[in-house]
Amino acid sequence: MRPADRYLGYLLISPALLVLAAIALFPILAAVGLSLQRRLPIFHIAAFVGLENYRFLMADPRFWNSLGNTVYFTAVSVALELMLGLGIALLLDRPFSGRGWMRAIILIPWAIPTVVTARMWEWLYNVEFGLLNHLLMATGFVTESVNWLGSPFWAIHSAILMDVWKTTPFAAILLMAGMQTIPRELYLAARVDGAGPWAIFWHITLPSLKPLILVVLLFRTLDAFRVFDAIYVLTGGGPANTTETISVYAYKVLFQTLQFGYGSTLAVMTFACVAFISLIYLKLLGRDYWRRLVQ
Amino acid sequence: MIQIFNKTLLVLGAAWFLLGCSTPDEVKGKAGVVKVVFKHGKIAGSPGSFRSLLKRFEEENPGIIVKDETLPSSTDQQHQFYVISLEGRSAEFDVLSMDVIWVQEFARAGWIRDLSHLLPPEEREQFFPGPIGAVIFEGTIYAVPWYIDAGLLYYRKDLLDKYNFDPPRIWEDLVVISKTILKGEGDPNLRGFVWQGKQYEGLICNVLEYIWSAGGDVLNKDGKVNLDSDQAQVALAFMRDLIVRYGVSPQMVTTADEEATRRIFGEGRAIFLRNWPYAWNLFDREGSKVRGKVGVAPLPSFPGFSSAATLGGWQLGINRYSRHPKEAEALIQFLTSPEIQRWMALEIGYKPTRKALYQDERLLAAQPFITGLYGVFLSARPRPVSPYYLMFSQMMQPEFSAVLVGLKSPEKALQDAQLQMDHILSGRPEA
Amino acid sequence: MKRADPLKKAGFLFLLLSTAIFFLGPVVWQFMTSIKPDTELTALPPIFPTNPTLGHYVAVFRDQPFFRIMGNSLIVASMTTLFCLVIGSLGAFALAWMGFRGKGAILGIALAISMFPPIATVSPLYLIIRALGLRDTWWALMATHTTFALPLTLWILTSFFREIPGELYKAAQMDGCSPLQAFYRILLPLSAPGLGAAAILVFIFSWNEFLFALTFTTTEVSRTIPVGIALFPGLHEIPYGEIAAASMIATLPVILLVLFFQRRIVEGLTAGAVKG
Repeated sequence: MRPADRYLGYLLISPALLVLAAIALFPILAAVGLSLQRRLPIFHIAAFVGLENYRFLMADPRFWNSLGNTVYFTAVSVALELMLGLGIALLLDRPFSGRGWMRAIILIPWAIPTVVTARMWEWLYNVEFGLLNHLLMATGFVTESVNWLGSPFWAIHSAILMDVWKTTPFAAILLMAGMQTIPRELYLAARVDGAGPWAIFWHITLPSLKPLILVVLLFRTLDAFRVFDAIYVLTGGGPANTTETISVYAYKVLFQTLQFGYGSTLAVMTFACVAFISLIYLKLLGRDYWRRLVQ
Repeated sequence: MIQIFNKTLLVLGAAWFLLGCSTPDEVKGKAGVVKVVFKHGKIAGSPGSFRSLLKRFEEENPGIIVKDETLPSSTDQQHQFYVISLEGRSAEFDVLSMDVIWVQEFARAGWIRDLSHLLPPEEREQFFPGPIGAVIFEGTIYAVPWYIDAGLLYYRKDLLDKYNFDPPRIWEDLVVISKTILKGEGDPNLRGFVWQGKQYEGLICNVLEYIWSAGGDVLNKDGKVNLDSDQAQVALAFMRDLIVRYGVSPQMVTTADEEATRRIFGEGRAIFLRNWPYAWNLFDREGSKVRGKVGVAPLPSFPGFSSAATLGGWQLGINRYSRHPKEAEALIQFLTSPEIQRWMALEIGYKPTRKALYQDERLLAAQPFITGLYGVFLSARPRPVSPYYLMFSQMMQPEFSAVLVGLKSPEKALQDAQLQMDHILSGRPEA
Repeated sequence: MKRADPLKKAGFLFLLLSTAIFFLGPVVWQFMTSIKPDTELTALPPIFPTNPTLGHYVAVFRDQPFFRIMGNSLIVASMTTLFCLVIGSLGAFALAWMGFRGKGAILGIALAISMFPPIATVSPLYLIIRALGLRDTWWALMATHTTFALPLTLWILTSFFREIPGELYKAAQMDGCSPLQAFYRILLPLSAPGLGAAAILVFIFSWNEFLFALTFTTTEVSRTIPVGIALFPGLHEIPYGEIAAASMIATLPVILLVLFFQRRIVEGLTAGAVKG
């Protein structure tokens, strides 16, 4: 790499760094700072308490409950989204008439604002008037309406289904784009060699898609772990905190009980968990990818 | 590629130019004209009618312009907005509309102004005692009650008449009546009693009504919070029984809020409904399936105790950082005046906080059942009046919800709630 | 040897159909809700409206300056996408093809910024926005949206750029191209799908972003669609009809834009790549 490259490199990356530093750095540092304080604006309390909030958090059963919900939600959602996204990308890889329309259709759930999606699904899940129960009963699958959002078991799964519906397009788009950059010659060569579709998929498609799969996994996990709007509108965290994720809990602590310090601690904790998971991803899947990326 | 890029840039540039050129209605530099910004949640009815009201205020008060800005209807989003703005010392709005449970905490935070001079003792007498109690913090008045809400029992007059029942006075009767009618009608789509059991603030309102009507309270005589009482256990157990043991309430109440239950009753699919007064207007309008079939009564109670309704409603306050407090006060006085409260009751259906209006001829002529509401509003009870209330609520909601879905017994839930309550209060700065 | 397989074709069609129904179903239901009069909203059956009405759509535009709101969303989302693509592609170019230290740290920090829950940053951000006098302006949203969409853009584009062989760059340089020319003439066209994907994702993120839009906008001067929709319901009343209509209105432009984008990207790709 020539020296000129290095300076050029710094130059080209500087706008991005500038933007990020200017707008994201202060709020994040402020939030971290708040997490070390006992801050109750209503009572005019602003005191530095070091790691006291973190100690409290470790012993807070509601935090552990929300963490459990979040992990479950994230794991199931992301797994489903990745598989479905991959499937759709495979389905739409070869051109056929109407493919453009299918691609647009896939995109629709992602395009709808989250609050609208949540209301839409809330209405679909409605026990008395919802389409889902109506169809299930009409086709004889169930004998009485399912309490989708009010049952401790079903609530989180209803939320998962809604999230999968909404965010599979993200995975599908990226993987579709990725598949398009795989040179056709590779496929042709493999077929000439007599490889079957599964072998092609496993040995050519998947490895080529690995970097993108990593991006999908990373960003989807980030998003799923921090899910807030969708669940808050759909269930409010209930019933009995069975759908309360970390972000929902943090929101309530921040803006309902007005404990800015502890709320920020929860946010930092969320960040820490996500960072931890990302490191695991990178370790397991992307060691050479990472090396290739940052050389 | 370049062509697309250029074309897009052109389109955007045009849009920016067109949109950017439209001037927001700012009153700039006109000497002597004060702009008062009024922040509130969405007001029912058509936006035109409320605007016409504000126009009237502007005509009666030359030199003052009112800019009203709506916030999303979700009370949580309004609360979040106020918290962020007021904590950031924003002077961007002058008058704000607050839920009855926020006044204490906003007052404690010092975010709203002292309005005691707007409500001297004789004025205070004109209002219902519940809201007045909710807007007084440490002896000072911080907001003026604007309109009032309280929990009511709606029932299907036609069905009760058909089976020769009077509206129930005790909960047990409600169960008996429901069961009889359900059996008699044999309609698989008919429910007995729907109420709000979702994990949210409305759940607290519902639970408190049962606790109070069992003669209990969440505050004991010394003003200390006491959740783990026998009456509370009775109340919670009864609510769970409504769903499971008596089969009178459908499972879905555990996820139902005001609108969900209102729709069920409004479609004619429920015999009894617990809800706020707003629902009446919707049941009574053209095209409603239950028009003319709806009766309203105070909520039942447990034997030997009186009916109890949770107090709701909205109050008007002034932002501490407002630059036009005097003009803001003028707006508040206008909006809470008897004439305007009557207008709101007639046009929008918001119930007045002034007692005298419940004998007003025009109002009675248009809404005759309002006399029945008077008693309910007079005895409506506020949720614990304390700056800590929202903390309590966030802690109690999941516990109560756990009982309703069968995850915890009433005893366990109340014990856990009490423990957490003590923990919250042990960190009290004043203690 | 051709496996002319009607079974395979049927299977393919079945999968296509199921996928379409899964993704489109709820939206079609939403559309039907938007044209049902209020009285039919809660009646099931009938699934299909018997008296379709445009009343909800009228209400959407009557009760709020919805055209203005859509315009705001369009400007904010487009500019955010533009900024992200420009800044992001330059940065990704550097990360993918230049040699300098700290790449890992940069990508890591960018990722870390994405990881931070927005609800914790909204309060301090509000203070900044107010201090800069940007309340109720497009810039407040464009700045914050760009910031929080930039990490994803960087990661996606870096991944795409990395896949393009370094020899092409070296060859171009030997032909006398400056780095920026190489960037413009070689890198960008070859990673068109990646750019397209990033553009779509950023646009939609900005179009649908709610928390910052709610906090930084006060009036219809800068209000965006998600906030506009949140303003529909009365205190207790949720007008499902109006919400459904508004969501149809809000989604349509995005779909059209995406259709436009998709086709152009594919065209550009097939035009340039045929030579193999």
